[in-house]
Amino acid sequence: MKKYFFALCLVFAGLANAVAQTTEKPASVKISGEATAPFELKYPEAGLLPHTTVIRKDRDGKDHRYGGIIVSDLLLKAGVTLGKDLKGENLTKYVMVEASDGYQVIFALAELDKEFTDRAIILADEMDGKPLPAGDGPFRIIVQDEKKPARCVKQVTGIRILFAR
Amino acid sequence: MRDRKKSNVRVVPAILCLAVCAAGFVDGTRPPAPYRLDYPPGFGNRINIPANNPTTQAGVLVGRWLFYEKALSVNNRVSCGSCHVQEKAFSDGLAFSTGVGGTPVARNSMSLANLLWSRRFFWDGRAAGLEQQAVFPLTDPHEMGQSLAISARKISMMPRYALLFKQAYGDVRVTGERIVKAIAQFERTLISANSPYDRYLDGRYRPTAEEQKGLLLFNAAPEPTRAIRGANCARCHGGVKTYMELFHNNGLDSLPGDAGIEKLTGLPGDRGRFKAPTLRNIALTAPYMHDGRFNTLDEVLDHYSEHVKQSPSLSPVFRDASNEPAGRNLALRPEEKKQVIAFLHMLTDSTFTTDPRFSDPRTIPRKPKAAK
Repeated sequence: MKKYFFALCLVFAGLANAVAQTTEKPASVKISGEATAPFELKYPEAGLLPHTTVIRKDRDGKDHRYGGIIVSDLLLKAGVTLGKDLKGENLTKYVMVEASDGYQVIFALAELDKEFTDRAIILADEMDGKPLPAGDGPFRIIVQDEKKPARCVKQVTGIRILFAR
Repeated sequence: MRDRKKSNVRVVPAILCLAVCAAGFVDGTRPPAPYRLDYPPGFGNRINIPANNPTTQAGVLVGRWLFYEKALSVNNRVSCGSCHVQEKAFSDGLAFSTGVGGTPVARNSMSLANLLWSRRFFWDGRAAGLEQQAVFPLTDPHEMGQSLAISARKISMMPRYALLFKQAYGDVRVTGERIVKAIAQFERTLISANSPYDRYLDGRYRPTAEEQKGLLLFNAAPEPTRAIRGANCARCHGGVKTYMELFHNNGLDSLPGDAGIEKLTGLPGDRGRFKAPTLRNIALTAPYMHDGRFNTLDEVLDHYSEHVKQSPSLSPVFRDASNEPAGRNLALRPEEKKQVIAFLHMLTDSTFTTDPRFSDPRTIPRKPKAAK
């Protein structure tokens, strides 16, 4: 009898696990707002896009090699006004980066444009050749050479392009 | 301890008439006067008022009556004010409130203070505005259990509301939408900004030595290599409002019984993640956490200091902060916990909890106590 009970428990545990697995969604970043082609970047698919490496210190004081997609490339893919289109009223646009814990920071759109700056801002999905640690990823903004890490947003879930009012 | 015995409660229709006359215009032809929301400049102006529901004196008055209106519940025994009691900073002292069905609700009743600056409501942030938020407790079978349509019908049959609605909306028509909008307007006026901490920021209160040390610990992140001790509270409760609209798994359980935001997103990283609420009036809002598991602030400090449970979805802020080199927990000293708690008591705003503008209008309000 005890044997059957144990087997039954295993079946239920397996079912519960299967249900949990089917309800889990892959992490993603939604790129939306003032964009003609908004899209959702899903975690495994991000690895297929061209990557750039940025080296910067983290809170542990050590240099790390972050691999990721240049944010302006993602914005161009979403149809955001960059390059020759970033002028006039479009210079009043900003980018709000949102994290899963509700944290929000903004960048002026021009801070991300290659014609304005050589500083790389990437949406990283790797650190030192591995996926980002659980508490940081799967997506994290990495701002090259910025002294404080406060805008290196962890667990990014959204990038919204908005007009300042 | 302040005497919390209620004064004699009497029905005072005369006060209602006076209030209505002061709030708006009986003929309903002119728009109601805007309600002046007073708050310190340091609170900032990132406030959340939808364009289709401006805060007006007449609207706030309707909302105040409705907030304490038991006819909004299916058994006429529960109002918003039943689970959000002013003396307790609009919480109710219970781990789980019971609604009309007598069964406990799923999560602890949250304190209502400074909602004007919130954009995501409930422990899991699922409501994007107070109007949307109010619909849930009104209609949920475990809370007030009545559809908005029935509520509107019941309210429309109560004579006192005709004039109030006309003042606020220009005609006497009662709708579910108008009910939730008025309640939201009233809730936006619940501003707590006159605690000893506010007066300290304004140069009008001198903290005790214990409070001062607690304030420093509250704001400091621990850096044992530089001999800086900290309680790291401001990482999630920072700023003058002690509220940053952040949502964390704060290590209550390694296997959370309540999945929190994960229920909404399906993302394992959101497992056990809940709102880090304001700490305004925190000494009045026990028990603590989304499930009311801690009865005292001492238990809360013990948790953060020594009992944070590791799990894959534990927020990073709890993973690496310690007052000991290579420490695995925050490791506050007993006297430091007392100092932090002393500072938390500085956030108690007695004028907020006795302000007659926030009380049940059916009662004669007591005069607010002078601030110490």
